[in-house]
Amino acid sequence: MTADDRSGTPALGATEASELLLGTSAEGGSAAAGTVVGVSGSVPTHVGARLAVVRHPAHGTRTHGSLGDFTLDAVAVQHLNAALDDSRARDGIRVMEVPDGQVELYADVRRPIRELIVVGAGHVAQPMAHMGALLGYRVTVLDDRPDFATRERFPDAERLIRADFSDPFADVVLHERSFLLLVTRGHKYDYECLVRALRADPAPAYIGMIGSRRRVRATYVQLLEDGVDRALLERIHAPVGLDIGAETPEEIAVSVAAELVMLDRGGTGVPLKGVERVAERFFKDSDTDT
Amino acid sequence: MTHEDDKTLVDALAAARDAGRSCALATIVGTRGSTPRKVGARMLVDPAAGLTGTVGGGCGEAEVIESAYRVLETGMAERVRVDLTEDFTTWSPAVCGGVMDIFVEVVPVSEPVSPTETRPEVDSGS
Repeated sequence: MTADDRSGTPALGATEASELLLGTSAEGGSAAAGTVVGVSGSVPTHVGARLAVVRHPAHGTRTHGSLGDFTLDAVAVQHLNAALDDSRARDGIRVMEVPDGQVELYADVRRPIRELIVVGAGHVAQPMAHMGALLGYRVTVLDDRPDFATRERFPDAERLIRADFSDPFADVVLHERSFLLLVTRGHKYDYECLVRALRADPAPAYIGMIGSRRRVRATYVQLLEDGVDRALLERIHAPVGLDIGAETPEEIAVSVAAELVMLDRGGTGVPLKGVERVAERFFKDSDTDT
Repeated sequence: MTHEDDKTLVDALAAARDAGRSCALATIVGTRGSTPRKVGARMLVDPAAGLTGTVGGGCGEAEVIESAYRVLETGMAERVRVDLTEDFTTWSPAVCGGVMDIFVEVVPVSEPVSPTETRPEVDSGS
């Protein structure tokens, strides 16, 4: 888009911008909107002006809307691109210094939608799919048995795919926000899926595999024998989940869900009581009030 | 904000647009300390359809709703600073311990919706 085009670019409304961001994320892309939320000095824009940078896997990168000034737009696009490039960048205000003043730009970033891909449609898969949907993941369930990956068993999965475990991800696009959980009925299938998952490019955000210590160990021995790099083993979450003493399929799903949230949000997995130690830090034995 | 929350909000925005209603959108653009919701949380105030989403429930939301109605009337966006650092013993709902910076903007009816405006509502097809 040239400078001349931009001067005539209509403002981007909150509704259109929200639709653009949501749609792009659902289609596996990322996008960032910048909204002017504060202006000081003499700056050729106004509070509420908005533009968005959209990176779509099929349509490439585009800019929508305008802050009303070509130079300002260029600075805003720089800020939004920086936010999109840094996977740890947070939503929030970016201060843009311009010759005659200052603009507070609120950056709102969307990454590709988080997907939970449950491989194997057995006992653990059911509560897992349910919980994934609850947490806002787009849930896909794969199995080679059509009787198991059914709508009745998985009412809130978005996609149910009959897959051949020798090539399980043929119909699934894996990306950096894909969370894979391997819970097939046999460790042979888990193993085949694991090898595929480790080779996926871009690497998925999470590869979890169910199994006891013994089974996980046997899997690692096999992986190394098959020439998989030792460093790659670190990427596998096995046994899956946080240590909450889970036994039933539902409890295991809670444990795995907790691990997913922890990784996604950067938590520690330790009880907050022990982290914050409110009683210990703020109340001495003799204290009666604070 | 999860994808689902996001979707619910976008649906509400689109519903207001399709019905030709202006509404007000509140977005948390900054926080300090402990706050019930984080940056990016949004709430839509649609005078006809009510609230969609939340910027923190009892903790200061009333102030934001007031601002939303003002913004709808004046058309001028506002920044609302919600202070949740009141003393616990006041039993105020605002004891979370932090401060939220909230941007409240009007989402105007974009363009007059031409055909449906000149036709009686029963003809608009359902």
